Amino acid sequence: MKFDQLVLPHLDAAYNLARWITRDDHDARDVTQEAALRAFRFLDGLRGEPRPWLLALVRNACMTWLKANRPAELSGIDSLPAELLPVEENTPETIALRAVDRRMLNEALAALPAFFREALILRELEDLSYRDIARITDAPIGTVMSRLARARRLLADSLRAIQNASAPQVHE
Amino acid sequence: MTNEEAGAMLHAYVDGELEPSRCVELEAHLAANPAARAACERLRGMSAAIREKADYHAAPATLLGPLLAQVSGPAASPATSAPRPSIWRLLPGTGVAMAAAAFLTWTIATGYLRPGETERITQEVLSSHVRATLAQHSFDVASSDQHTVKPWLSSRLNYSPPVIDLSAQGFELRGARLDYVGGQPVAVLVYQRRHHVIDAYVRPAHGPAAAVSLTRDGFNIQSFARDGMEFWLVSDLNRNELSDLARLLAQNPA
Repeated sequence: MKFDQLVLPHLDAAYNLARWITRDDHDARDVTQEAALRAFRFLDGLRGEPRPWLLALVRNACMTWLKANRPAELSGIDSLPAELLPVEENTPETIALRAVDRRMLNEALAALPAFFREALILRELEDLSYRDIARITDAPIGTVMSRLARARRLLADSLRAIQNASAPQVHE
Repeated sequence: MTNEEAGAMLHAYVDGELEPSRCVELEAHLAANPAARAACERLRGMSAAIREKADYHAAPATLLGPLLAQVSGPAASPATSAPRPSIWRLLPGTGVAMAAAAFLTWTIATGYLRPGETERITQEVLSSHVRATLAQHSFDVASSDQHTVKPWLSSRLNYSPPVIDLSAQGFELRGARLDYVGGQPVAVLVYQRRHHVIDAYVRPAHGPAAAVSLTRDGFNIQSFARDGMEFWLVSDLNRNELSDLARLLAQNPA
């Protein structure tokens, strides 16, 4: 069956995205199920790669869910100006990100605003191109780029803050 | 190039999305500018940290059953959501189709019927990988030399699998073994990355294969085709690095 071949192999990716956006197992299941059923119904409309196509359906279902359940998550976030990574910043407390604690990283990621979180998940966990991310999140490529840049900046800041809070004696 | 301009391009550069001509410019800037280089390294470090450590939430097994139940019968939606007797009169066969669909769903969900080919191979390569790991018997021929491994395999199979050396890319070839998957003997190339062992099952492709990318029981599984061969990668290595290996295997000349 076409559905088995095209959609089911990407069910993990679908659930992973839904889980990161909704941050709840139960809601992620509902949203994934709904998106997969839509995929089933509109399978004939599939053009190109199935994974970004399915993820766009999942993302859509997530946005509907957020609007209904956590509208605050979607308000005004994106109007923040895109910030560039300050190259001159080379502070001594820059943490060794590769050595960062797993739990800490997951908490910091989950705490990012929804648009930044989804961009980072699609880029780093699904390894998708800017073009695919733009398609999935229904945003221009320029917006994807600025969201990624800002997401990374926010993540670095919050990891640094957590690190400093847990070890206040190492101020330099 | 100013630091601001470099900073604006750095994300696209680290993400592999910067056009080649700008890459050259940026790399020249990085070479001359330690602060920019440090910023670049920080970005790479963050990317690597997320890829290695962020939770990947695989779909729970309990999601699949209800989903299959809903998609395996087109009759399911009109019958359950809004009963309309007139439709049933118009379509006398629907009741039978629905019963058949319900049975099919039940048999798939409970595993009584032989699962689809993709699912079957997925299960077989996963169990083979786990068995080899438990028995600590990963390979029959231990060699990092593709020119040793390839003839060893070719002489024992009725096909000659491509054996690709990827040690320069951080995937060390450890050796190979034979296993039995999908009703035939197959080549298993064994790669290693850090302390993770990756089994690459290679067999002649039987028609168009599904590109599988999934997580099961904590293992990541990916499949792809190249030159008439089907590759199945199984490992506890994270998905992104496994994708990297898949890409390398799909592109590099044998």
